[in-house]
Amino acid sequence: MSVLARLFRRGDLHSLAAPYALDALEPGERAQFEKHLKKCERCAFEVRGLTEGAARLARSMAAQPPPAMRDRVLSAIRNTPQEPGPLRERGRETREYTPRLPAHVWGAEPQASRARVPQRRPFFVPFATATAAAALVVASLFAVQANRTQDKLDAAQAQSREIAHVLAAPDARATTGADTAGRSIGVIASASEGRAVVTLSGYGAPPSGRVRQLWLMRPNVQPRSLGLFKDDTPLVTTGLDKSATSLAVTVEPDGGSPQPTTQPVVQLALKSVGFGE
Amino acid sequence: MRSTRGGRVGADELLVQVAGGDQRAFEELYGLVSGPVFGLVRRVVRDPAQSEEVSQEVLLELWRSAARFDPGRGSALSWVLTLAHRRAVDRVRSARAAVDREQREARRSHNPAFDQVTEEVEAGLERQLVRRCLDRLTALQRQSVTLAYYDGYTYREVAERLSLPLGTVKTRMRDGLTRLRDCLGGAA
Repeated sequence: MSVLARLFRRGDLHSLAAPYALDALEPGERAQFEKHLKKCERCAFEVRGLTEGAARLARSMAAQPPPAMRDRVLSAIRNTPQEPGPLRERGRETREYTPRLPAHVWGAEPQASRARVPQRRPFFVPFATATAAAALVVASLFAVQANRTQDKLDAAQAQSREIAHVLAAPDARATTGADTAGRSIGVIASASEGRAVVTLSGYGAPPSGRVRQLWLMRPNVQPRSLGLFKDDTPLVTTGLDKSATSLAVTVEPDGGSPQPTTQPVVQLALKSVGFGE
Repeated sequence: MRSTRGGRVGADELLVQVAGGDQRAFEELYGLVSGPVFGLVRRVVRDPAQSEEVSQEVLLELWRSAARFDPGRGSALSWVLTLAHRRAVDRVRSARAAVDREQREARRSHNPAFDQVTEEVEAGLERQLVRRCLDRLTALQRQSVTLAYYDGYTYREVAERLSLPLGTVKTRMRDGLTRLRDCLGGAA
């Protein structure tokens, strides 16, 4: 492309700032402009100003939503995991549940190098609406139950608190492992607190009458049960000692077993998260 | 009526807390943003049931994606409304795409009332203020801005409807938004 054509093209892109702020671009143009926006500080500045103007148009339309909407949304969020921050954007992996990780949790993971100068990020980023919509459906189903059983709600809240607690530990670290079928186990652990949050993805429901049980493996010691997985809810465990070398998951009869009775379906070393000393 | 300025500062802080998984903060945030979100979505989508559906999706997305909010880049309310607007526009556009093209032709030749937005305006300080500022724009600026923003048309569609060249529409949109912002300026 000649310099002139390129300049012309860029000028042309600049002029899309106002239609962009009004959401008046077609998807292709929008993507093109957002790409340009990353490199064009002037455009980003202009878009920000224009967007504030557009937001005033929006606010002037404020209206009272139906009261039932509040209940639905508030119930829904209780069962909806949050996405991590933009550092993870376009990252490798996980379309599934990933707890939001504070920056320090990623430690030496390559994520850190992806950190960009904040103002170079586009102002708008595409969102996973389809997933959000699906989550809402699931959550609404949950809400019906939750409304009846406050206990369940309390349990869910207590669990989020537990997870938040692990995440907040200064030495919290994350690691994941996968089996040959691509199903994975993820853990966020704090060695100093002896706590960990463990998630399974891709395993689906266990066979009828069976449960998945989590085990703590240490050298020269019998495996210790860390609990049973309920559906795909993360398992919060406490009391992990530093000698722990790995976690293992086995399929056991309902109610769990005192010791594993089957081969592990997946195993995960804990060295990278500060254990195994 | 809630002070807009107070609400805005509050929303920024709350959204940051929500990003940390704080459900109570989300409840409070819901109180601040659900009205603006629902009102905007309803203005664009029009159908009440669909408006509620889109609003719910937006608010849930707000919970999921709170970590993406960067307080250095604008207010939380603007961010939320940007999100809401985009979802609303996506919805009307996909609905519109399904509408028979002939029907649209017919409507266009019928020459609809472009300025109905300003007529629908009711009570509310913000609404009056915005209306006053919209009235200060030229007709083409106002139509370009409101057809795109409130009715969800792309700038190409706006150009077609107003029989203007694309470049002119883009300029009218920019000038319209800039004048609107200047007019609304200190009264945020």
